[in-house]
Amino acid sequence: MAVIVKQVELSWLDRTYLWPILKGMAITFRHFLKQLFTPTSKRFTIQYPEMKKELPQGYRGLHELKRHEDGSIKCVACFMCAEACPARCITIQAEEFGDLETTQGFQEKRPLVFQIDMLRCIFCGYCEEACPKDAIWLRSDYEISAYDRASMLFGKWDLMNTYAAVDGKARITEDPTPAVPHPPVES
Amino acid sequence: METFARLAHLPPHLFWMIVKVLVAFGLPMTLASLLTWVERRGSAMIQDRIGPNRAAIGPFRVLGLLHVAADGLKSFLKEDLVPPHANKALFWLAPILAFVPAMLGFAIIPFGQSFTQGGVTYHLSLLDPGNGMGMLLPLALGAVAVYGVLTAAWSSNNKWSILGGMRISAQMVSYEIAMSLAVLAVFMRAGGYDPHEIIANQFGAWNLCAQPLGFLVFVACMFAETNRLPFDFAEGESEIVAGYLTEFGSMKFALMYLSEYVHLITASALITTLYLGGWRVPMVPDPGPWLSIAAFLTKVVFVAWVFVWVRWTLPRFRYDQLMKAGWKLMLPLALLNLLLSAGWMLVHRAA
Repeated sequence: MAVIVKQVELSWLDRTYLWPILKGMAITFRHFLKQLFTPTSKRFTIQYPEMKKELPQGYRGLHELKRHEDGSIKCVACFMCAEACPARCITIQAEEFGDLETTQGFQEKRPLVFQIDMLRCIFCGYCEEACPKDAIWLRSDYEISAYDRASMLFGKWDLMNTYAAVDGKARITEDPTPAVPHPPVES
Repeated sequence: METFARLAHLPPHLFWMIVKVLVAFGLPMTLASLLTWVERRGSAMIQDRIGPNRAAIGPFRVLGLLHVAADGLKSFLKEDLVPPHANKALFWLAPILAFVPAMLGFAIIPFGQSFTQGGVTYHLSLLDPGNGMGMLLPLALGAVAVYGVLTAAWSSNNKWSILGGMRISAQMVSYEIAMSLAVLAVFMRAGGYDPHEIIANQFGAWNLCAQPLGFLVFVACMFAETNRLPFDFAEGESEIVAGYLTEFGSMKFALMYLSEYVHLITASALITTLYLGGWRVPMVPDPGPWLSIAAFLTKVVFVAWVFVWVRWTLPRFRYDQLMKAGWKLMLPLALLNLLLSAGWMLVHRAA
């Protein structure tokens, strides 16, 4: 496909080189004045620690493990998220629990350990999509940093409380139903 | 004035000289360091940014002015590295050679109207009128400034430095001719090359109005002399790294950098003196020392701002375009300007 390049015929005024310079300087000066008299809150630059960007709906930030109304975890330790995770940053260890007096047996499953390595996580949101119980959500917090690697391993209780303050919920550190004591391992 | 001199136990002329030395040294230094701030914040504003504003003493940020102090402190604390293959003596000498001529140029510029007190006339320039050098001093020093750059480039023993130094020296030398010719027309109009005479001659009409062509040529040459955009061939990240500054670090780099800005201030002062009427105030025939100093400073700061403004407006030339403009455009224009003003003087004298 042939492209016809438009030859711009410059007027004698433009060919002096001086007049276009003056025009250009007028443009830059207009920008200068505009920026100078714009209050900080209306400038394009977001002065980060003082001002924060308004995040779009569906932003994938720090994870939250959702809980039921009684405070029990929604997660059923099905390992779907850990399988879906391309960065392999989710570590789950399951445990059994149930109302032993009525059911006389082991009927429910939940994570004993649910750990996300935030240094490995790429915030792709695949865990959220894989979850059959809507138990893991990626939400708006992006200020995830620490002074050492160990603190970047978020455990089950960290993840359940990540947005407690934002949502006005109580922080919890214990499951409402106790876990079944593991039967002694027979050797 | 004599009271102050007596308080300092010094004869009045010596006291006045010390004051002038302090001013002639302090003014360009202060303005140059302020100009680094103007350049950063001004460029930011032109590009719809905010620019550096975080350096603070406690909660006081002072519009980012403290970045100047922070930069100075930082460059003092950095490792003073001399590359192993460099010519050590020249490498040490280069920042001094770049800095001193830039500072000296200011010595001749009158930064206010001379005044008489107690039967003694005090001149507001470091060198009194009638010293025999006049405006030839800054022109000569402009030529010497090439040596600072060349020494820096050669002593670094680095191919990029040498390429940058070669470019910049060729540019400075070729633009010097047009510049000198433009200034010559001013000398002709004033009938002398003493800055006091030149300013006295600009009563009524500034040289800007009398010789607009000469003004254009001179300003363009000043851009080339100070290595500012659109003529900044000493550097070029994509081609020759930082040009002649490549190997310089810590305070040596800071000194080179500062000398560029001092050069810029001196260039603004030169433009002010030669073409914008020096310390003259429009509509006021005899402004007196204070008003004249204020007028001079305003003009210098404005011209310096124009240097910054142009830098963030124009893209740079290609090297061959630059040389072509220097030899085939600036030089004939300067000659034409010389001819025109000579013809004008001839007609004026005959009438």
